[in-house]
This record gives sequence, C-alpha cells and structure tokens, in this order.
Amino acid sequence: MDNNNRLNAKDLINVGIYTAICAVICCAVAMTGVIPIMMVLLVVFVPLLTGIPYMLFLTKVKKFGMILILNVLMGAFMWLTGMSYYALVVGIVTGLIAEFIYKAGNYKSKKLGVLAYAVSGIYCWANYLGIFLNAEAYFSTRQNFGQEYIDAVTGLLPMWMCPVLLVVDFVCGLIGGWVGTKVLKKHFEKAGIA
Amino acid sequence: MEYRLDRNAHSLLDPRTKLLLLFTSSVFVIGTAGGRQMVIFYWILVYLPVLLLFAEKEWKAGTVAVAVYVGSYFAQRALQHDLTAVESVLALMLFILTKILPTVILARYIVKTTKVSEFITAMHRMHVTDKITIPVSVIFRFFPTIGEESKAINDAMRMRGIEMGAKKATEAVEYRMVPLIASCSIIGEELSAAAMTRGLDMGKKRSCIWNIKFRLQDYAVTALCFACFVWWGIGRFFV
Repeated sequence: MDNNNRLNAKDLINVGIYTAICAVICCAVAMTGVIPIMMVLLVVFVPLLTGIPYMLFLTKVKKFGMILILNVLMGAFMWLTGMSYYALVVGIVTGLIAEFIYKAGNYKSKKLGVLAYAVSGIYCWANYLGIFLNAEAYFSTRQNFGQEYIDAVTGLLPMWMCPVLLVVDFVCGLIGGWVGTKVLKKHFEKAGIA
Repeated sequence: MEYRLDRNAHSLLDPRTKLLLLFTSSVFVIGTAGGRQMVIFYWILVYLPVLLLFAEKEWKAGTVAVAVYVGSYFAQRALQHDLTAVESVLALMLFILTKILPTVILARYIVKTTKVSEFITAMHRMHVTDKITIPVSVIFRFFPTIGEESKAINDAMRMRGIEMGAKKATEAVEYRMVPLIASCSIIGEELSAAAMTRGLDMGKKRSCIWNIKFRLQDYAVTALCFACFVWWGIGRFFV
C-alpha cells in the first residue's frame, strides 16, 4: 500500500484547522450582511480576507484531496448556517478543479496556488445563486427584514449582476491569494510556519 | 466489561441525535423551510435547545434565552405595521436574533457536551469516513480556541494602541489575522502530535471508553426530526 499518497491524521487535522479559521472569518464578515450594500460586497471581502489562511493552508497541502475536503466542509458550513445548498454543490465542483490546478504545479507553484484559491473560492458566489434562481422563495423567508431591505437588495442584484459577481469573486480571489502570498512571505516564512 | 467514568460527562443525547437535531434546526429555523405550515415544529425546534440547556443545569443561559425569545416575539408583534427605516433595521436585528439564536445555542451545547472521542466513535458507527470525521471534530474543537486566541490578541493589540476601525484598516486586520493564524497553526501541530500518540493513524478500529447508545430521549428527538421532514414533504408535494 502506498502510504505516502494517503491522507493521514496530520493532513486531516490541518484541513480541520484551516477550515475553522476560514469559517470564522466568513462568519465575521457575513454578519455585516444586514446592511444591503454589504450583502453584495461580501463577495469582495470574503475572498480577500480568507486568502491569508488559505495560502498558508496550501503550503501544507501535499496530497490529493485536501482542498476538496476543505471546500466540502465550507459548503456544508454555509448550508448549515442558512445559506443555500448551492454553495455545497458548487464547492465540490470548484474544489475538484482547484485540486487539479494545484496538482499541476506539483503542490509547489505559488502562481497556480493563487489560481486554485480563486477557483475554489467561487463557492462564495454560489451563495447568491439562491437569490438569482428563485428570488421570490428567497425573500419570502425574509419578509421580516422589512420591504425596504428587500427592495434595496433586489435593486442591487438585477439578473445581469449574476455573471458580474462571479467575475468579481474570481478577481478578488486572485487579489486575496496574491495578498496571501505576500503576507506569507512577510510573516510566516520568517517564523518557520509556512 | 463496561467502564463508567464521571456520569456528568454523559450528556442527555447521543452525538448522532445531536447532529441530526442541528441539521433539522438549521433547515427549519434558520432556513425557515416550509413557512406557515411548519409553525408548530418551528416553535418546538426553537425551545428545544433551551430545554437542553436546562438539562445541563445552565439555568442562567437558559433563562436569558427564554427572556430574549419572549421579548423579541412581542417586539416583532409590535412592529407589524408599515415600518420606518429605523424600525426596519430594528426588526431586521430581531429577526436575525430569533432565527440564529436557537441554532447557536444548540451548536454551543453540542460543542460543550460532546467529547471528541465520543463523536468519532459515533461517526464511525455510522460508517462516515475518517476523511470527514477528523476535520469536523477538529473544527468543533477549534471554534472555542479561535475565540480565546482572538480575544487575547485583541487585548494585546489594544495595549499597543492598534484599534479596529482606525485609519489604517489593513494594518488593523493584518496585526490581528497574522498572529491568530500563526498561533492556530502551532496549536494544530501540537494537536496532530497528540493525535499521533493516541494512535489515530494506526488504521485499526478504535475503542471508546464512553458507552454510546440510543436511549429513549434519542428516539424521541430523532422521531421529532423525521416528523419535521415528513410533514414538510407532505406540505410540499401533496398539498
């Protein structure tokens, strides 16, 4: 049996830790979603801020499957915290793609790492799919938010925003990943963590 | 032979029941699936976590939760008419509070009352792969740790005069995130070493000192959860 390619407890624990950090950051940012404009800007801030832990996570990834598990868990977390299950479905797909992208660089290339991060971060955009695909059902569960909130959010999210947000999410993912590598260089490599 | 440790370590419910309840609660309370038709189940799911708090003798937290529920219920009744902007924000806050609070209480209860070993054994019996179980148990263990660490870092940064919302926002974020991630990563290394010494990597079947089995209350809660889904399914596809 080829033990080197199988995930051992250490890898799985690493996945758990970084998922927890990303989840906490997502939560902290998502709390600001009560203000309509922030609801849209989540797609900017989440990829920007989770970039740092994610890039550190990628330095620990040496085997196939770790990115995928992180994405599945993040998707499940989104679902449990009241987003739609789209995040889980999209997360699995983008996780797999990211996995292959990072694998192409032998789990070393920083550039491919940034790209993998941007791709896997698309689950963040998937949270909005519920609004676009089924706006009425989405807001019927949020009547108590007040009509003004609903008007504000629907005003900010017409149908054509769907692909725009995807692009924004991806670009912010790239920026976040790039910032992540910078921070990695500045702090963690010196400290011997990365 | 059956070992009995501190009886208080046993919580009322089996880990599997707790997870099912958490899932049900997040679908029907936060997700408000079903809407009007689920209203009875909704209130049961809202008040059940409080009962669990009382069962764990957390009288204070339980009482506060009930007070918040009752207060926000009447406040929302009062805010039914056309809302002004301020009232709308207020209603929104209350709404989020009542939606999220039950599940937060439940999640906290689960983290506090479930031993990692119990959790892993229960998952193993459900034939869930280690690849999911181990990260999830680490996440459960890590949420309180991240809270503690970030509080300590926050204090340290305040002492140095680096406040959130100051002019240099990026600096404020960087000075918090970097130490947090660094310390979490170091704790993680220690955690893996500890797991290694406990033979998590052996690939053999683990034994567990706690006696995990379904009891009467587990069957009751499980039945409730299934009833929720069945009733929802009936409303969705047959009515």
